[in-house]
Amino acid sequence: MYWVSVFTEAGIFAILALGLDVIWGWAGDFDLMFYGYLALGSYMTFVLTIGKPPPSVEYIIGWHLPVVLSMVLAIAAVVALAAIIGAIALRNLREIYFAVTTLGAVSALYLLVEIYTPLFDGYNGVYGLINPGQTALNLTYNGYRIGLLVVVFVLLFLAYLLIQRLSRSPFGRMLRSVREDERAAAAYGRPVFSAKYRAYLFGAALAGLTGCLFAVFISAFNPSAWTPQELLVIYAAILVGGRGNPRGVILGVFVVYIGFIELTRFLPSPASRPDFGPAMRQVLIGLMIILMLRFRPQGLFPERPGRDRGEQPAEPRGPGPLALSASAARDAAPDTEPDGEGSAG
Amino acid sequence: MTTFFVSVGIGLSTAAILSLSAVAFTLQYAVSRVANFAHGEFLTVGAYAAYSGQALFHQNVAAAAVIAALAGAAAGLVLNVALIEQFRGRSAITVFIATLGVALIVENLLVIIYGAANVSYTFAQGNLHHIGPFLWTTTDIEVMISALAVAGLIYLLLQRTRFGKAVRAVSQDRALAQVSGIPARRIVMQTWALAGAVAGFAGFMLALTIGTFSPTLGFSFLLLTITATVAGGLGRPYATLGGALIVGLMLQIAGTYTSSEYELVYAFLLLVILMLFRPNGVFVRRSTVAVRA
Repeated sequence: MYWVSVFTEAGIFAILALGLDVIWGWAGDFDLMFYGYLALGSYMTFVLTIGKPPPSVEYIIGWHLPVVLSMVLAIAAVVALAAIIGAIALRNLREIYFAVTTLGAVSALYLLVEIYTPLFDGYNGVYGLINPGQTALNLTYNGYRIGLLVVVFVLLFLAYLLIQRLSRSPFGRMLRSVREDERAAAAYGRPVFSAKYRAYLFGAALAGLTGCLFAVFISAFNPSAWTPQELLVIYAAILVGGRGNPRGVILGVFVVYIGFIELTRFLPSPASRPDFGPAMRQVLIGLMIILMLRFRPQGLFPERPGRDRGEQPAEPRGPGPLALSASAARDAAPDTEPDGEGSAG
Repeated sequence: MTTFFVSVGIGLSTAAILSLSAVAFTLQYAVSRVANFAHGEFLTVGAYAAYSGQALFHQNVAAAAVIAALAGAAAGLVLNVALIEQFRGRSAITVFIATLGVALIVENLLVIIYGAANVSYTFAQGNLHHIGPFLWTTTDIEVMISALAVAGLIYLLLQRTRFGKAVRAVSQDRALAQVSGIPARRIVMQTWALAGAVAGFAGFMLALTIGTFSPTLGFSFLLLTITATVAGGLGRPYATLGGALIVGLMLQIAGTYTSSEYELVYAFLLLVILMLFRPNGVFVRRSTVAVRA
């Protein structure tokens, strides 16, 4: 049962990574708000299904809706929040400015949820969604967990098919052109903001779905489940797999989650220092991010260049974003001052 | 009215620390065009170095401050050589993500060494002083005076010395400075060491005024720092001081009249609002050019 649970979790995170990859891999926006969407989706699923809060516990809404309906509503709430954040952050801000703005937004949300208890009961969080539908489906506990695993993988497969299709569609190609050179894309009449905005909403919707699945999977949710560091693991997974390549991203998640996190669970963790293991794991994840960025920014499975149908294949383009491959040439001579040579002549 | 002046007083003390941290952040940006997400860790490293060294010099606050600054300088130097220069020529966002990784590493290394729980110095906080309408502890006064002194030193260093001239040249155009015979790489390294020292010192001051701290000290202060830096204008050291003053005072006053728990929520909302309307700083006329760093 342990491995069922591990694979379910990895499958959920794979869907999340696919969503994030649309925002970061295709549209090129480094979004730090993303885990907040998962959190909101999860919280909303809880408060829509677990009914009125018992005494001494507070949270909003408190309805008794069927789980599937509440998932739809939760995703709608997430997309609504993303619509606000995206409209603010994507309009004029790019790169670091975008990243910092989304970080500000997610930190404000995090603190608000943690401090303001009437929202989602602050630090205690919400809980009580235990295996919804188990009795109705007449399943044993183990059967239910295996069923959940199957559902997650079916959803992952559907998400993959959808994204693979989107990736080759005009929309996917437009997003990549915007990522590579926003001005050139705008000059060719591509609606830059609207393209990025739609990608953002789509990614957030997937994050909302993951939040719902997460709610069913862990049956409790509180602020310690969505600290900023969780998102970095997803970014690390995308970096390892290959930014912009859906198949690579899914593989990256499985490599990072199962290969890496499960293996480092066996790190020595002396009883006197219970935080040693988790801290060491974070250190290794940080190292992995830096090393991947430095030595293989395109990931293990690089994004494949789009093919022109009908004409002769164009000469092979460098893997990954142009900015990165251009800099690879510069890195060849790191000891000189590369900018100086041109001006000196 | 008394409440107002007390909160202004505390706000000034916060602003003093914030201004040091923000100036250090903006100096790094000026010479390397890098938004250093691991900047908060300089503060944490400084605070913990002083924590480890406090017994060494018989509870001497000044000695502990020097230790913090030295540790910060070392951290700045190492980060510059081992990471920032390695990523030279890469896009700003790539370096930003890499420094995010560094922040993760340093924070967790500190957890491994010192534990995740709060620690505190054994220095005395000192008495309360009524000065005019304000109410300050001895520590608050020390913090403000030393912040002013450090800011003055940085000003002199940047404006009156050969090193400062070189820093300004490099921040304008590194390549041009290089061909004019300025050892750009060395200047950048020295600037990072300077920024690290200022940040390490700020970290010690921050830990001293708060009382207790944990390895997340710097990270939670980082967003405040970025807010102050953006309010002043990225890469503009003197305007940053003004930005820190505005942000520090606004937070403290808003926190006093609602609830101090929400201070950081206001800070982040302020950051978002600044980004939306004044991404180039409040002292610059609203620019028609969108920020595309």
